[in-house]
Amino acid sequence: MTSNTIDAKMLSKMFLAGAKNLESKKEWINELNVFPVPDGDTGTNMTMTIMSAAREVAALGDSVEMTALCKAVSSGSLRGARGNSGVILSQLLRGFTKSISAKAQLGIPDLSEAFDKAVETAYKAVMKPKEGTILTVARGGAEKARELAGSGMEDMEQFFAQVLEHAKYVLSQTPELLPVLKQAGVVDSGGQGLVEVLSGAYDAFMGKEIDYTISQAAPESRGEGKSSGYKAQAEAEIRFGYCTEFIIMLNRTFNIKHEMDFKAYLESIGDSIVCVADEDVVKVHVHTNDPGLAIQKALKYGQLSNLKIDNMRLEHQEKLFKMSEKEGAQAAPQTAAASAPTQPPKPVGFLAVSVGEGVNEIFKSLGVDHIIEGGQTMNPSTADILDAVDQVNAETIFILPNNKNIILAANQAAELMTDKNLLVIPTKTIPQGITAVINYVPEMSVEDNEVTMMQEIGNVKTGQVTYAVRDTVIDDKEIKHGDYMGIGDAGILSVGQDLLQVAKEMVCAMVDETSELISVYYGSDVQEEDARRLRETLEETCGDCDIELQYGGQPIYYYVISVE
Amino acid sequence: MSKVAVITDSNSGITQSQAKDLGIYVLPMPFFINEETYFEDISLTQEQFYEMLRGGADIHTSQPSPESVMQLWDEVLREYDEIVHIPMSSGLSGSCQSAIMLAQEYEGKVQVVNNQRISVTQRQSALDAKLLASRGMNALEIKNFLEEDKFNSSIYIMLDTLYYLKKGGRITPAAAALGTLLKLKPVLQIQGEKLDAFAKARTTNQGKSIMINAIRNDIENRFGGMTEDRHIWLQIAHTANEEAAKMYRDEILAQFPGYDIHIDPLSLSVACHIGPGALAFACCKKIEV
Repeated sequence: MTSNTIDAKMLSKMFLAGAKNLESKKEWINELNVFPVPDGDTGTNMTMTIMSAAREVAALGDSVEMTALCKAVSSGSLRGARGNSGVILSQLLRGFTKSISAKAQLGIPDLSEAFDKAVETAYKAVMKPKEGTILTVARGGAEKARELAGSGMEDMEQFFAQVLEHAKYVLSQTPELLPVLKQAGVVDSGGQGLVEVLSGAYDAFMGKEIDYTISQAAPESRGEGKSSGYKAQAEAEIRFGYCTEFIIMLNRTFNIKHEMDFKAYLESIGDSIVCVADEDVVKVHVHTNDPGLAIQKALKYGQLSNLKIDNMRLEHQEKLFKMSEKEGAQAAPQTAAASAPTQPPKPVGFLAVSVGEGVNEIFKSLGVDHIIEGGQTMNPSTADILDAVDQVNAETIFILPNNKNIILAANQAAELMTDKNLLVIPTKTIPQGITAVINYVPEMSVEDNEVTMMQEIGNVKTGQVTYAVRDTVIDDKEIKHGDYMGIGDAGILSVGQDLLQVAKEMVCAMVDETSELISVYYGSDVQEEDARRLRETLEETCGDCDIELQYGGQPIYYYVISVE
Repeated sequence: MSKVAVITDSNSGITQSQAKDLGIYVLPMPFFINEETYFEDISLTQEQFYEMLRGGADIHTSQPSPESVMQLWDEVLREYDEIVHIPMSSGLSGSCQSAIMLAQEYEGKVQVVNNQRISVTQRQSALDAKLLASRGMNALEIKNFLEEDKFNSSIYIMLDTLYYLKKGGRITPAAAALGTLLKLKPVLQIQGEKLDAFAKARTTNQGKSIMINAIRNDIENRFGGMTEDRHIWLQIAHTANEEAAKMYRDEILAQFPGYDIHIDPLSLSVACHIGPGALAFACCKKIEV
């Protein structure tokens, strides 16, 4: 027997169940990405976003009341938001809580209003709302809710069932709205994530047996020198206890497919994975609760050497102790910097999201004050960005997201920030970020610089070479699992099995008669020798352009190449 | 009315033959190249200079010898009552300091202008001095006028390479500020005494638009804005890069329609520190419209 209203306790249960359900489907949702690029992580991003809220909700305990619940959902998801779909989900959740926080019991009209508010808030957060995405699914659900509420429906069970049903239907229609989805043969991954949240919530409402325990562990901690609140939490944040490292001395072939299989296996037992294959050795690093599994799997490929296994939970105690000492030492000059008139904040600072030691070094040499580690593999959350902002002592801070999936989180951080002026230059790629910071002129006003940087990032074309993680068809190009792909600003430019050839074809598609400079940043999985060979090839084919080769050290992307 | 002559040095970009037409005297700058002395536009052409520069010749700049300065002054004073002497910027060379010292012996007849100009803006100063003299100002009045006017000019220079800047070692602060991992085209600024790093570009087009924006910014904020009377001189200077300079003129004209744009090769004293392929964009406020 279900009631026709829900209270805070039920809503809290439903929310946690929704979050859990999303988490359980996250890997599957990751695979719905249109581009078969490694680490397409819509599922991960949405899960990390909602889990940040779920932890705050779970911390409220059983005696929850509506205002506190709404606040927990809203602030938790906002700070935890990462990736585009994560940010949109956080806006949906925030909007949902707007109209209900003063009510103790929610009826169907209240819920319908909350859905409307959710959709309205989320649409506002996106500059150019695109249909066929999570937004469409959310709007579909809200429209159904309004229709049912308008018809005077009172049966809550029916209401939820029909709203969910309709959301699923709208989701199934997303390929009709977005041709890329249709061609790739998938539904929208963000929309799928939202449906999983709603399904979980519905199950909870129906009284299905659900494990509501939310692990207080945040899966990733980043940045150093956090507040003391972080320290208190940090111990609980170690999800995988053993840092495991070894080298496999190969006695059988280990091609890209083996590498991907092995990585996928490691991902199933842990995180923080590094797996770098050279000709006859593979270097492996993983955080896991069961080092034995990683070792056993690795033995299939050859003998092991340089084994090292550390218990991070034990080490952590020690590290915390050291950190507090170090922080104490560091805090002194830092506080002095903030308060002493001798070191006022400088007028302008730069913050860039970047990964790869070479690229990081380039950004630093160009005057970027602080790097947020992240990119395609790991989208930093709004909270990560805000933490990084604290590290930069400047009145105005330009943020370079350098990935299209991080721009929204950066925008959200800019809105949340009150005591510093945060300006997001919406750079979608590393080369765009480099161009932006190069074009900064200290003597010019912040406004003029913003305008110039915005203009200049439009003049640099970026191509990135990576590998496909599954078979698909995009832009009428057939792509096989393990193929190399050259991806330009507007889509796939080249596909094939020869890395050099794929990179060359991609560049040829980018160069035109106005091009002056080709910059090649080669990744951590590319040998310098191969990169040099690519430069030689490009010198032959694109003779009019200057060609510059730099070590980027980025993962996932063998080459990041810009043409300007 | 006192008869006032105008003297400048070859850094102004005014050639010996142009000088004759303009009624201005130009003191040639000496260069020591592979231990031989050459005089700009007398025994050393632009072409010869760049050929030797590219060939890695050991080039040193020098100030005009006191003897050559005083000789010219004495000669000119036979025809004129007073001299306005406009040397290259005191921030870039000791020529100005030496000239001021030498002028002390001339009982006020030689007025040395310390207005920190170089190249196209120095040329403009010489033209302005000539105009002021024709209006009846004496040498001291002209000197004071030009010194008060000194900040009404701006020069930005985009370099093709950092190589010569580093090699010369004379402009180290600017070079140091630009020492990065990437290959960049630095944009330098000459503002009063200092020659300093202003911005950086990856491509020529970026550098050109940085300079256009910088000049526009200076005009708007320092020189009274872009008005109908076009009270601003615009100039381009270059080092062995004339074709690019002409192209740049067209691009600038598209953004500053109706302006006259003067193009000169950059003087060799500057060129030997920044190398060939550089492009400069400058402006001066007109002293009268």
